[in-house]
Amino acid sequence: MMNKNNNSKRQIIETEISMGPVHSAALEPYRVRLFVEDELVKDAEITVGVNHRGVERIMEGLPVEKANSLTEKICGICSNVHLWNSVLVAEKGLEIDVPERAEYIRLIMAELERIHSHLLYLAHGNEVLGHETFSMRLFYIRETVMGLLSMVGGNRVQYGCSVIGGVRPRCDLDEMKIQKILEGLDSIEKRVMEFADRFISDPIIMSRITGVGVLTKQDAIKLAASGPTLRATGVELDLRREMKQYDPFEFNVITQDDGDVKSNLLIRVLEIPESIKIIKQAIKDLPKGPLTNRNWEMIDTDIIKNYVEAPRGKLYHSYALEDGRIRGSVIRTPSMSNIGAMQHACIGTHITEAQLAIVQCDPCFTCTDRAIKIQYTPLSKGEK
Amino acid sequence: MEFTNILNSYVAVFGTLIVSLLICMFLPGIERKFIHARIQQRIGPPVSSPGLMAPIKFFFKESITPNSPMPEVYNKLPLIGLIVITLIFLILMPQFYFLGVFASILTIIGLLKIEEIIYIFMGSLSKSVMSMNMPFPDDVKGAKQYKQATKSFIEDISANRAFKLIAFGSIPIYLALFVPVVKSSSLLLSDIIIYQQINGPILFSFAGVIGAIVFFIGYMILLNEYPFAILKTKADVIEGPYMEYAANSRAFVVISRAFLMFTLATLFSVLFLGLPPNIFNWSFLVNIFIVILFPVLMGVFSAFSPVFTYKQFYPFVIGTSLLGVLAIIGAFF
Repeated sequence: MMNKNNNSKRQIIETEISMGPVHSAALEPYRVRLFVEDELVKDAEITVGVNHRGVERIMEGLPVEKANSLTEKICGICSNVHLWNSVLVAEKGLEIDVPERAEYIRLIMAELERIHSHLLYLAHGNEVLGHETFSMRLFYIRETVMGLLSMVGGNRVQYGCSVIGGVRPRCDLDEMKIQKILEGLDSIEKRVMEFADRFISDPIIMSRITGVGVLTKQDAIKLAASGPTLRATGVELDLRREMKQYDPFEFNVITQDDGDVKSNLLIRVLEIPESIKIIKQAIKDLPKGPLTNRNWEMIDTDIIKNYVEAPRGKLYHSYALEDGRIRGSVIRTPSMSNIGAMQHACIGTHITEAQLAIVQCDPCFTCTDRAIKIQYTPLSKGEK
Repeated sequence: MEFTNILNSYVAVFGTLIVSLLICMFLPGIERKFIHARIQQRIGPPVSSPGLMAPIKFFFKESITPNSPMPEVYNKLPLIGLIVITLIFLILMPQFYFLGVFASILTIIGLLKIEEIIYIFMGSLSKSVMSMNMPFPDDVKGAKQYKQATKSFIEDISANRAFKLIAFGSIPIYLALFVPVVKSSSLLLSDIIIYQQINGPILFSFAGVIGAIVFFIGYMILLNEYPFAILKTKADVIEGPYMEYAANSRAFVVISRAFLMFTLATLFSVLFLGLPPNIFNWSFLVNIFIVILFPVLMGVFSAFSPVFTYKQFYPFVIGTSLLGVLAIIGAFF
């Protein structure tokens, strides 16, 4: 493998190929500059920002409940985890105790969403590989989990499950829903494992993904990669281990060692059964009791920060509360911290595989684009 | 009497051509609807949509000037390609065998090469705005700086790849074309057909079977179909030389591909079964069967494989070419 740590400025680069921000080969609006020599990528640059909407700016000054529902619009794939984290920020600042049943339902939704996100990733990965049949069949498997999310949340994309202090009553799980979830999970697990067997045993697919877009453990740490992209390099870091919501449940943190496309695809395949394991435990031990704690008061807070493990990695939300309104909101999606890893993974690959090297890090640029930094300055008295 | 013969010939040529053009319009639809979609457990497009309705739609679209150094030439290339494919098809008809050496394998190879070279021209003349660089140095803060690097369009890479494909990827089909030549000891299509009328179809011999397999792989490579879609796949960062085509030109692109599918399958019928296309002959039904069978088989193969990169492509082509050489050697015995 070529040395990726060469001083790139000293290299003689023959050609620059620029693609995007709008291009039919790219699903999302981003710009890639590939610096190539005889079709080998020597350096790469990814630029995002053309889909900027400034959600944080819109959130500024909104009542916290309203602003929270806005966070769900950040991502069409991991909408629930954004809402969950935003609600957690408020609950942390206002010191609200969330009923156990609500915590469990939130967690079930988060894990269902992780399964849906990973299946989408696998389907997209296969599409980029040019394997349309696998891609379509994975989308077909994903329909089951989409159905479950829709059944619990009432919607396929934005479930509106978490509210400050608990979950909405419509997201409560009765016996019928629980039965359907368990049946659906069994079906998904069986089909995903069948897919994995077929996928791993295909020599052509393996030759397409093994040793492509390699990211070493050191590089991943240096470039602040997070989530499955980091774990695919052998780093055993899963924020769920540190979240109190996950304390009652037993699950394994999946890691792979090679940091290539194969590791990235496999890690997400193997994380699906772990998510199913967590959901089944949560359903088995689902406590009885209220869904929402309404016994809390709004107070002013300083900046509150919270991290959760989103399907793509570490998700950060923070804001301050003043008169029940949001101030200085900052959101950092996992793809933001993975951009460096994406660029680095391209280096040394053939130009044909550059797109695959980017996609292996599971980018969601349109979510990332919505993040801006807002300087927080506390209001003086009487100022609105 | 002679006038009737001439009239019959004209009707046969034009009738066969028109019927073939009509049938070929359904081939992309058959491949996508009945094979890809069925295997992928989805409904798929209407069978007439990809090959027939798409060009009709394109003909009624507003034409744009493509972003190209020679837009007129660029826009005419698909039509030239269609003319070349039509010439190949015409040569396959018995009514044109009087042309002698011009109705031979060498002419077909030459015309196929022209068809391939057109693709290189398309790539080198297409400058899609989607891969355009800034008209000024990209030296914003934090941007990577390689000021000596030549800024290239994605289609340029595609053109380079098409060149490699011509030099290397099309070897299997050309090797397969020489199996009937060796068997019949003649380059002329008329002799190849006469040989098969006397000795039976070449397909039913050892060399013929291997030659047919090699021909089919070459057929897929020539059509840039998955998994050999290295030139224009969306899975790659390269979308290809078709990027800038719109309206009439885009319609000719679609028709050309469909007619190339038909023509190559007909070429197979002529060389390996000894059945030239003729609307007045029942054997034309066999031609049509082969023409439909090829996209069906191609659809099955392409549905179960990812797109090859050169890492997989080169060994595969080398293996197939060796098989082709084996078929030619087998044809001597």
